[in-house]
Amino acid sequence: MNDKTELKERLRLLTVIREEALLRQRDIYPREEKVDTWPNLVVKELIALLIFTIVLVVWALVQDAPLEELANPGLTPREAKAPWYFVGLQELLVYFDPWMAGVVLPTIILVGLALIPYLDPDPIKGVGRYAIGKRKFAAFCFIFGFTMWFALVAVGQYFRGPGWTFYLPWESWETPKEIEVSLTNFPMVAGIAFLACYYILGLSIPAVAFQNFFWRLGLIRYNITMILLMTMMLVPVKILLRQVLHIQYIVKTPWFNI
Amino acid sequence: MLKPTTNDIPETMVSRRRVLGGALFWASCGIVVVILGVIGGGVLRFLYPRALYEASKIFKVGRPESYKVGSVNLVTGRGVWIVREQEGFYAILAKCTHLGCQPIWYEDQQVFKCPCHGSRFHKDGVNFAGPAPRPLDRLYLSLASDGHLEVDKGKDVGLDYKLKV
Amino acid sequence: MNIFVQMWRSLFRTGVTDSPVHRVFRVVVNFILHLHPARVSKDGIKITYTFCLGGLSVLFFIMTALTGGLLMIYYTPDVDKAYANMLDLENVIPFGMFLRNLHRFAAHAMVISVSLHMLRVFLTASYKSPREFNWVIGTGLLLMTFLLSFTGYLLPWDQLSYWAVTVGTTMAENSPIVGAKGPFSVLGPEEDMRFILLGGTSIDQPTLIRFYFAHCIGLPGALVGLMAMHFWRVRKAGGISRPL
Repeated sequence: MNDKTELKERLRLLTVIREEALLRQRDIYPREEKVDTWPNLVVKELIALLIFTIVLVVWALVQDAPLEELANPGLTPREAKAPWYFVGLQELLVYFDPWMAGVVLPTIILVGLALIPYLDPDPIKGVGRYAIGKRKFAAFCFIFGFTMWFALVAVGQYFRGPGWTFYLPWESWETPKEIEVSLTNFPMVAGIAFLACYYILGLSIPAVAFQNFFWRLGLIRYNITMILLMTMMLVPVKILLRQVLHIQYIVKTPWFNI
Repeated sequence: MLKPTTNDIPETMVSRRRVLGGALFWASCGIVVVILGVIGGGVLRFLYPRALYEASKIFKVGRPESYKVGSVNLVTGRGVWIVREQEGFYAILAKCTHLGCQPIWYEDQQVFKCPCHGSRFHKDGVNFAGPAPRPLDRLYLSLASDGHLEVDKGKDVGLDYKLKV
Repeated sequence: MNIFVQMWRSLFRTGVTDSPVHRVFRVVVNFILHLHPARVSKDGIKITYTFCLGGLSVLFFIMTALTGGLLMIYYTPDVDKAYANMLDLENVIPFGMFLRNLHRFAAHAMVISVSLHMLRVFLTASYKSPREFNWVIGTGLLLMTFLLSFTGYLLPWDQLSYWAVTVGTTMAENSPIVGAKGPFSVLGPEEDMRFILLGGTSIDQPTLIRFYFAHCIGLPGALVGLMAMHFWRVRKAGGISRPL
């Protein structure tokens, strides 16, 4: 490298570093008031540690972890429930096939969660405070998904009895429940058309109705965001279709069913 | 002035050192990728044992006469039902096609019910309610030379298969 | 100097004197406390801002790790012994039941605190630049927490664990492409995802060993590694987020 390019390179590097430093100064170290970690933070941590250690120890003393009979591959128990944090997924199994509820949806949830910082177009709005009103769309999406997850957990945990039949929490599981509703499918063409319309309209209507939003996100970001959102919304849509119209599958093909 | 000064070299030209350095860098990157690939592939292969210490997939389930016409019999420890009907025998894998729980046969209602998510199957294994996506697997059943019925769990035969004895 | 005084001072190098210098020194020289900066932002340590959720997740992880380590002493990952070991822990071994309870409930608490921590970080928009990638690491930590819970579920070898894992691994069997029974499957029942998880075609001894390894070594290792990166990045981003 000759001197001229080297000099140029150095200057460029310097500018980059300077810009980054400025950015950092603005983003990270604005008008902050600092206090000593010891004792201000350490004391709070100690209190939290003590409280929750005591809570857990007491909990472990008064309640025993469940242990059922020895594993028996030849006998499925009357009620086979996953641990509570997976019961939401198990509840989804009522509405979707296992490949969808057990594999595709969890993968989309995790990927979608990981993508959040890259999909949010605003770099500073609401940072450092509970300002949900300023980020209505973002907050709506996240809280909706979060609530849905725990709502599904609650339904699966408290409203499902043997054979995953719906029981109210105070109902006895011995109450016979034989509501055999025969389920129907959309015809294949109608199903594919329904799904296609669902996504195409879901992607295009907001783009036209909220043009500011669309341009702020840009094409790629907008499409990823809306596809993830529409997929999340597919869960309540499918639940409604099943409960109200008794639809088993929206799309039924010889290879996969949705 | 035979030796060119640095100012004479156009900026688009790159030195040999730089080219070689770049080549070396990318070659080392390639080698790292290859090594990681080999390690990853090796670990993956390591997870597949060459032999399995599992019960044989082919086993005998007794003489045909021991089964009553119209009965559904669970072979305990094997997870297979032997069904005898007027037209013949068939074997059904006792594993729900939804999520692998073992359904229970209700003699009075003549249905298989899965306790996990409430799938229902007819006596011939065809699903009619609940989330199960397809009928229960029907297994290959044959008559061995010693007159016993023999099930092959590895072979999935269609719904039409019935063994006439 | 009195020998005991010498021992004491070598153990706690900073003494009890309170001065600005000592406060800083105390945090900087202490192995655990040096995860913190010597001085922190006043906004960041408000209880109503963080609710201590990140720290509590660490606390619950340490609790499960310590109790889990002790439980390992009496547990054999053998299908003929595992369940008997559980009964021993309940009935024969002093504090066995207590440790098992604590292990399980701390795991429950960890799932809750990790979820709520994620909610807190989202609501305060703390995933925004320069902390984007730390959020990604956080989702990795969430996944690890769930996987640890799932693998631990099989170890008691009771009906609950057997059938919960049956359901879980049948989902793997149904995954698209890599599962034997899923849509567009290309692998047979002895090559697919489920086979790797089970180490065979049914839940048996190889499965128990695989889950035991994942639960005690593989996943905790990954979790600790990710945690270290997570904390490091919190520090490098200038501490936890605060109003701009």
